[in-house]
Amino acid sequence: MAGKIIADTLETGAGADIATSYVVNGSAKFFVHMNASAASTQNSLNQSSLTDNGTGDFTHAFTNSMDNVYYTPTGHGYYNASGGNSALAQWTLKYAAGGLASYKLTSSVRVDIVYVDANQNRTNYDYEGAWGTAHGDLA
Amino acid sequence: MSTIIADNLTGKTSAGDITVTSEGGAATQSLQQGLAKAWVNFDGVGTVAISDSFNMSSITDNATGQYRYTMSSAMSSYDYSVTFAQAVDDPDGSTDIWTNGFRSNHGCLPKTTTVVSMGLYDGVYVDCGYLSSVVLGDLA
Repeated sequence: MAGKIIADTLETGAGADIATSYVVNGSAKFFVHMNASAASTQNSLNQSSLTDNGTGDFTHAFTNSMDNVYYTPTGHGYYNASGGNSALAQWTLKYAAGGLASYKLTSSVRVDIVYVDANQNRTNYDYEGAWGTAHGDLA
Repeated sequence: MSTIIADNLTGKTSAGDITVTSEGGAATQSLQQGLAKAWVNFDGVGTVAISDSFNMSSITDNATGQYRYTMSSAMSSYDYSVTFAQAVDDPDGSTDIWTNGFRSNHGCLPKTTTVVSMGLYDGVYVDCGYLSSVVLGDLA
């Protein structure tokens, strides 16, 4: 039988303590390391599926849904010199005619992986490596 | 209110897996996997210096706007997640939008199980006085 502890505070032998709410609220609820060019996931937490919507456009579905849409996803791609692009890759929330609310849901988040050139123009690109995280409250 | 006093937490069924209940109470999640495994705040102007950090052994100035940090305890593989941010004050006086990210050459990933390489770009690589990065994934 698995052990179970119900507690409000964790305290070290040295006397430092932290409320368990910091452990639960402060833990990442999602992370992913993915290969955009292969549309595959190498490692993840709380990701049930990865959908390739087009070049540099992916939807990450969560196994366990977030409590609301006010969670904080962040991420990156990385520039590979062999990719022929001159700038660093970015991982950005999808925003189009439907607005952010169409893409940032409690059950999934849709992101664009882009590079920004010297003129500050963005272009979607399927980078070999990209990674993202999300913090917030699970349902 | 209850308090647990301990120096170490270890899973009973599986040493590396402790489950916590979600904020809403509808789900459970691995405690270990959700914890940040390293973070760093550093000054990237002049002699690069770590201001505060966790699981970080050193940081190196590779070139203007390009940095590399080394973690004390290694990750289990390179398949971990990293994010990176910088302050918005632009040291070159332009109004360009900065982009940050991870630079690789010759087809190699910009990270190993202990080292992450990153860069800061606004048309050219630029140094910044306030940078931060967080690592999530599995420790070895």
